[in-house]
Amino acid sequence: MRSLITLVNIEGRLLWKGMDLFIFGFCFPVLLAALFGYLLSHDASGGPSDFQLSFAAVTTIGILATGVMGFPLTIADYRHRRILQRFQVTPVPPAYLLAAQGLIQLAAAVLSFTAVAAVYHVWFDFRLDGSWTLFLLAYAFVTLAMYSLGMLIGSLAPNQKAANLWSSLAYFAMLLFSGATIPYNIMPETLQRLMNVLPLSHGIHLLRHAIAGDPMIDAAVHAAVLIGCFALGTAATAKYFRWR
Amino acid sequence: MLQVRNLSVSYGAKKAVDRLSLRLKPGEALGLLGANGAGKSSAITGMLGVQHSQYDELTVFGKSPIHHRRNVFEAVGVQFQETNFPDRLTVQEACRQWAALYRETADLEELLHSFGLAGRERQVVNSLSGGERQRLAVLLALIHKPKLVFLDELTTGLDTKARKALWNRLLLMKANGLGMVLTSHYMDEVEILCDRVVILRQGRTVFQGTVTDAMRRSGKTSFEDAYLKFSGEKEEDWNAIINHSS
Repeated sequence: MRSLITLVNIEGRLLWKGMDLFIFGFCFPVLLAALFGYLLSHDASGGPSDFQLSFAAVTTIGILATGVMGFPLTIADYRHRRILQRFQVTPVPPAYLLAAQGLIQLAAAVLSFTAVAAVYHVWFDFRLDGSWTLFLLAYAFVTLAMYSLGMLIGSLAPNQKAANLWSSLAYFAMLLFSGATIPYNIMPETLQRLMNVLPLSHGIHLLRHAIAGDPMIDAAVHAAVLIGCFALGTAATAKYFRWR
Repeated sequence: MLQVRNLSVSYGAKKAVDRLSLRLKPGEALGLLGANGAGKSSAITGMLGVQHSQYDELTVFGKSPIHHRRNVFEAVGVQFQETNFPDRLTVQEACRQWAALYRETADLEELLHSFGLAGRERQVVNSLSGGERQRLAVLLALIHKPKLVFLDELTTGLDTKARKALWNRLLLMKANGLGMVLTSHYMDEVEILCDRVVILRQGRTVFQGTVTDAMRRSGKTSFEDAYLKFSGEKEEDWNAIINHSS
């Protein structure tokens, strides 16, 4: 336990010194939250307003930046530089290092979520029509799905370059085409069909359901896609992961 | 403390290490020698259980390093040929991180001082000079007062003064019972540190014994010449290469 705490502490310092996550995972969603607050319609006469629904999208950016970008890149980097191999010859399993890194990325995502929620709530008086419990549950589903996808990228990428390319592809594809930044509804129908392939689209649908307070049973298919993504990601990671 | 019988490491069809057998007692130092690509590093990763291998016997302190890694590595230190660190990690963080992995650790201040790294604690590891990084790698291998260390090219990149200082430290630890398995391309170092040597040639053990045995068996007057004869790194080969390319 003492080892894990020290590892978390040091991985946290390294992440903080890196600054890129601070920009992409924290500043960017907070800025977007403020923009949406000013630009989107707050008219809630016919169900939840565009502004209310946008909360679903903006809160996922922190998960994307950590789970699909930061986490897999670090896994690939530590393997490529044989840092995991160095841990293999200590009493502490190298999985501890990955756990520490995962925990710290997750903490960063939670921080990003909190900041975005604060902007929505304090500046723009954001209210959830549905229940926070359901929203947070859906949020946990999205997190699990995205992190297992990230683990999979980190496991399969043969080298640092490939990991960079694959995570960037996954990150930008989902940032732009799953409704995280550009709202799903304004996309043409053909593109919407393509967007449905991305697991995060389903995550955002699920979160919007929770915001609107619609019966969650209607969103069962979205939850199923996320669970499938999680199961597939963890199973493939278990099968293909290499320490060196 | 280390028993290896018929250890083989293969990469596909290529045999990097072929039926290596050796044993090591406390306070003893064994040199693994050979040309580049002879299988020294593979032998080390194989013995540590990091690399998949075949063997009849492989034990460290009487236990398998593969099945009892937690137990075994509490008392084993390893310096791999190439030691990399995460970006932006400082010397102090590297030491703290490594010390946290073990139950008991040596006096860090003293170690930093004797490895010439005192005052460098706040510096980022990747901004250190090659020699300083190498010294840090060896320091980390010794941070938990191990009973057995594996040092793969321990003094590569070190200046003369640092090499001598490291030898003295290791000899002192050896006198206190530390077992060592090391690889090196410097025969003066091998003569000073090692009680016995194993010379590998394309993965096969071509000689095992003391430095004096090696000279006697090869009929050479210096250990360097004896090594060159056993390892197949003959000077004529190099002359041929040099003449050919010029």
